[in-house]
Amino acid sequence: MTRFGKVGAGVFAVLVVLAVPYLGFSEFVLHNLVLIMLYVGLASAWNIPAYGGQLSLGHAAFFGLGAYASTLLFLHKDLSPWFGMLAAIGVALVAALLMSVPLLRLRGPFFTLATLAMVEVIHRLAIYLRSLTRGSEGLTIPFKTGWAYLSFTSRAPYYYLALGLATITVLASWLIRRSRLGYHLRAAAVDEEAVTALGVKLVRLQVAALLVSAALTSLFGVFFAQYVYVIDPDTVFSSTQFSIQPALAGIIGGMGTVAGPVIGAVLLTPLGELLRSSLSGSQQGLSFLIYGLVLIAVVRLLPGGIVSGARNVSGRLVRRRQSGQPASGPARSVGVGIGKEDA
Amino acid sequence: MELFLQTAIAGLLLGGVYALISIGLSLIFGVVRIINFAHGELVMLGMFATYWLWRGFGLDPYLSILIVAPLMFGVGVLIQRTVLQPILSSSAIMKIFATVGLSLVLQNLALYLWGGNYRSVRVAYSTATIKIGGAAVSVPRLVAFAVALVLVAMLFVVLKRTMLGSALRAVAEDRDTAALLGLGVSSLYLVTFGIGAALAGIAGALLMPFTSATPTIGVGYTLIAFVVVVLGGMGNTLGALLGGLLIGVVETLAGTYIDPQLPHVVVFGLFIVVLLIRPRGLFGLGRGTEEVGLR
Repeated sequence: MTRFGKVGAGVFAVLVVLAVPYLGFSEFVLHNLVLIMLYVGLASAWNIPAYGGQLSLGHAAFFGLGAYASTLLFLHKDLSPWFGMLAAIGVALVAALLMSVPLLRLRGPFFTLATLAMVEVIHRLAIYLRSLTRGSEGLTIPFKTGWAYLSFTSRAPYYYLALGLATITVLASWLIRRSRLGYHLRAAAVDEEAVTALGVKLVRLQVAALLVSAALTSLFGVFFAQYVYVIDPDTVFSSTQFSIQPALAGIIGGMGTVAGPVIGAVLLTPLGELLRSSLSGSQQGLSFLIYGLVLIAVVRLLPGGIVSGARNVSGRLVRRRQSGQPASGPARSVGVGIGKEDA
Repeated sequence: MELFLQTAIAGLLLGGVYALISIGLSLIFGVVRIINFAHGELVMLGMFATYWLWRGFGLDPYLSILIVAPLMFGVGVLIQRTVLQPILSSSAIMKIFATVGLSLVLQNLALYLWGGNYRSVRVAYSTATIKIGGAAVSVPRLVAFAVALVLVAMLFVVLKRTMLGSALRAVAEDRDTAALLGLGVSSLYLVTFGIGAALAGIAGALLMPFTSATPTIGVGYTLIAFVVVVLGGMGNTLGALLGGLLIGVVETLAGTYIDPQLPHVVVFGLFIVVLLIRPRGLFGLGRGTEEVGLR
């Protein structure tokens, strides 16, 4: 494709994405698109510490704290969720600093377990602090519509809001990956000792990545509260939905790449929604059961995720074309899906 | 004072079961070098197996151990053989994914098969107590504690005194050299995961007379076992035993004196404080911690 053709295709794609709410799709489709944006953002934010090999299963904490921070301010101080977003970022940063305590002490699986424990603690506290959170009953957003209150009666504005947040997050993820921080983190994921030996203050970088990731995640918590109107601890602090599912999208797409979490979320979210809407009652568990099986299969068959798998296939094709004979041996990359070139 | 003593004893007894769960996790970590995120789900499976044996055949929970233990050993071997063995050479992160996936599968399979309700076994001794030194002690907790301690002691003897134990310790110490010396490392992995799963299953059976089973109960046990092994020093069997008892006492006291909603909050809070002031755990580290574990 010529350069002109590429630019044209890009502009066309952007126009299509922007025009989506006016193309006459059903509510169900629009709702799914909003959820896809939500998970594209969550998975991309989750992926930022993953550049450095940090696997968090605690992001539901930032998500839920964001949702509660903005909703409480809206309810009690009549502050618009725009301010709520600032508060959400603040609270999430404090939580991320707390989570950094185990990060300073624990490595690998132990860090992951500590993040899982942290969600559990905050979840229980949210249920326990009834005077503030009304416990398991949950909170309802005041009904004030318009852009000033980030709450709408139609789906189109939510679509644009989600699109905007997701774009910011993917952009942040891309910028970080290309920055000095990103290079150091990615090097550390491959060989931590070598990076430390070069004099890089690795822990600081890991904390920085976690802080950025937490702040971005909390914004989606605010969005979620505005989108669903009612929040309760079991929903917004759900490890399965907001820690494991974004992680799953990142892992399946390709952890440590920019495109991976996006692809993973785009593929996985509608699949999950479809499963959930076609299953009922006790069958609900089946959708997560399938997620689990997919996860086990990805680790075994495609350890770098879809992105590195595709890269290997295309790499093999290119090599075949160049040498004029079939490339030998499978070029299966093992590890975190850190590619040799930029995504 | 009487309430305090009674609560502390109840916690200590529960701690015995925690120790049993944690030692399985610690053993699997020490030998196979895998942190099993699905360990709590194995306890959950043990609880449900016990429940259904009681419900279907009226089998006493303690007698059902005779079936649950070999059953869960088989489940463990199957998991190791089909899910973990093929990815042994992958990175630590890949192994986390695999066991997280496994825990999702087991949890949701249980939810699908048995629904989300709480299931409990009603036996004559469920609420029975005996007086020990003025404190009323729950009989099923006492039995659970005694059985757990006997099993821990047996495991200790097996590890220290038998050929199997020496082989397992050799693999834990240095997998490559052990393989060079002709030890069947992968079959030892199978046995190890089987033993870990059987211990978790037995713990489930021991919990059943005084705890309700539900598909999502496993996560709590995974996290507690994790706190116990980190406090006790990863790979340190005696540390895991003491850590288990300590966490049992802390959790039960917190549940009684602070709020029944908050025991986990207190346990994890304590855990973070310990990490801050004594990151190597309360009782020192075992072998192999540097490979995936602590700084």
